[in-house]
Amino acid sequence: MEQLAGLVSSNALPSQLFEALSQYEQEACLISAGSGSPETSGNDPTLLSAFYSSFFLVHLLTDQVPEARALTKRIPAALLHQDSSLQNCLTLLRAVWQTQVGQVYQILRQCPWPEALQPLVRRYESFYQNKTLISVSTSYEAIRLSTAAKYLGLVEQAAEQEDPNVIANFTKCGWTWDPATKLLHPKAIVVSPTDHQSSDGIREAMKMLGKSGS
Amino acid sequence: MTLVSDLAAASAHVHDSAKLPSGDYDRQLRELVEYLKRLLSTKALDALANDESILDHFNPARDSIPYLFILRLQIQTAQETTVETVPTKIQPKGVLWTRSVDFLRNFDRIQVRYVGREWRELLEIVGHASQAVSQSDFVSMQKLIPVHCQYWTTTFAIFQLCLCIPLQSFLCFVQRTSPAGMVYMALKDWRKALHFLGVVVSTPVASSVSLVMVEAYKKWVLVGLLEHGRLYPPPTITTPHVMKIYQSMARPYVILAHAFERGDIRRLRAEVDSAKDIWENDNNTGLVSQVVNSFYRQAIIKLGKTFAALTVADLAKQVFPLPVHEEIAESVIVSLVLSGALDATLLQTQDQAVSSMLRFSTTSSFTRLSHEMHIQSQLQKERFIMEALVGNLRESNQTLGLSDECVDSVHKGQAWSGSEVNPILGEEVGLEMDEDLMGDMP
Repeated sequence: MEQLAGLVSSNALPSQLFEALSQYEQEACLISAGSGSPETSGNDPTLLSAFYSSFFLVHLLTDQVPEARALTKRIPAALLHQDSSLQNCLTLLRAVWQTQVGQVYQILRQCPWPEALQPLVRRYESFYQNKTLISVSTSYEAIRLSTAAKYLGLVEQAAEQEDPNVIANFTKCGWTWDPATKLLHPKAIVVSPTDHQSSDGIREAMKMLGKSGS
Repeated sequence: MTLVSDLAAASAHVHDSAKLPSGDYDRQLRELVEYLKRLLSTKALDALANDESILDHFNPARDSIPYLFILRLQIQTAQETTVETVPTKIQPKGVLWTRSVDFLRNFDRIQVRYVGREWRELLEIVGHASQAVSQSDFVSMQKLIPVHCQYWTTTFAIFQLCLCIPLQSFLCFVQRTSPAGMVYMALKDWRKALHFLGVVVSTPVASSVSLVMVEAYKKWVLVGLLEHGRLYPPPTITTPHVMKIYQSMARPYVILAHAFERGDIRRLRAEVDSAKDIWENDNNTGLVSQVVNSFYRQAIIKLGKTFAALTVADLAKQVFPLPVHEEIAESVIVSLVLSGALDATLLQTQDQAVSSMLRFSTTSSFTRLSHEMHIQSQLQKERFIMEALVGNLRESNQTLGLSDECVDSVHKGQAWSGSEVNPILGEEVGLEMDEDLMGDMP
């Protein structure tokens, strides 16, 4: 449990978190089920719940929504129905799946998430904001400030009053604000692959080839 | 106990032979398997069938073959005694469960290649036991299988369990088909799923068609609708008589596809409702519901071929069968655009009461620009990969071509006679060195 909490609250990259948690799934299941040893035979749902909730959020953080859905099918049904944290995960998945942006923010901010999961929930909220901002920038040619604020989970009343702080959230991304028409004109945001993560696989394969050849 | 000592000694002897040339090691392993099979057939091993502590004398990593044989025998005996497929001893926390898990975590992968059938049987038993009790144990069990496992069907079993596909359809697929199709369907990668389903659908057959192929064709029709928006023809190598069988056995699916193609939502809904039981029995309900959702996308795309731009209110009237609230229609269309499923852009006006305008991408310079930027980023990504590949190749070339070790080994190779026996292949192979072509030059 402590190991898991430490990992979840660390600043590790989402891909690293995903790798670490993937390897931990077997242990979590075995520890939780007792794994044949009578001393640890008490079925402890706390660990499994914490593990699966964290793993689920890390799936979302790495933008693997279909895989997150597959994960929910692996979670023991009884645990999934009883555990409030996993129930939150399910509701969140539904909202993300259906692109119900408003609901996503509502679930992330208002649902009672356990303290240990808070760092991941906050990280996902920020990730989701960025992801939505990118989608909106390529989907709208002109957008009302209140609609744009809704997509970012900002206070809509402030947007309706044309709060400069709200406008600044968009203009800093290169969007233009037309005070005459009271519309924002987005500039398409394209994420350039700055990390070399995609070439890691090739590097590993070449290393293996090198080894087998030597 | 003499038998146990004999077995342990035989296994230790084989283990020590691991350093010998591969041909010798291979022979030793085959002999050990033969020896154990002989013991099994003469019932000599029966003395070990009820005593689980016997396995303490063997190390699952070092003595994988005898360990597996004895474990299988003990499981079989437990099943026969209790007349149960999954006796308590095999269930999680049972004695034989612990032994099995221990084995699956530590077995020697070279040794296990000689007892593939027994290994797979054990895996299936443990899988059944786990599933009978709890899914989570099953998941943990799958994770125990080393990633270098080379068994197709086992890999598929793992995929199946991960994605929780009903066991019945899974068992069918295990027999013949590629597991990848199912996995890609779960990941909504329809193009790749179609590729793998196509392999199954176009499997050459002499006379009859297997149930697996029919199941694959049903999924092919649905995935084809999702990817291409029409009844996608199966690979051209599919023979006409097989196609006829498919058409008759997957009739409701073909009718559904025709309704989809005609763009008639009412008929599509009627077909979906009338064949509800069929979708359920075939485990295709999820795919069918996605087909219905995909219909709206296809209907909007079709409108895009006629109109350059439409207000959301007008679009909703054209696409949705019943009058829907404009907000709902807009949210559906917006989520299609935001998720990238629809190539279009939205334009809002200052007045909230005025419906947003949907502009189709072919006419919009804005989306063309963002597409170009997207392609540019994809190209950049590819460039990173190519750079990494070229860099590594250069490095490997240097290591291979310039290092002293390589030059030495080439010299040695030239000195060898052409009739060396390859220790791995166990046959005579020439060194196949290229002749010095420059030598012929004047």
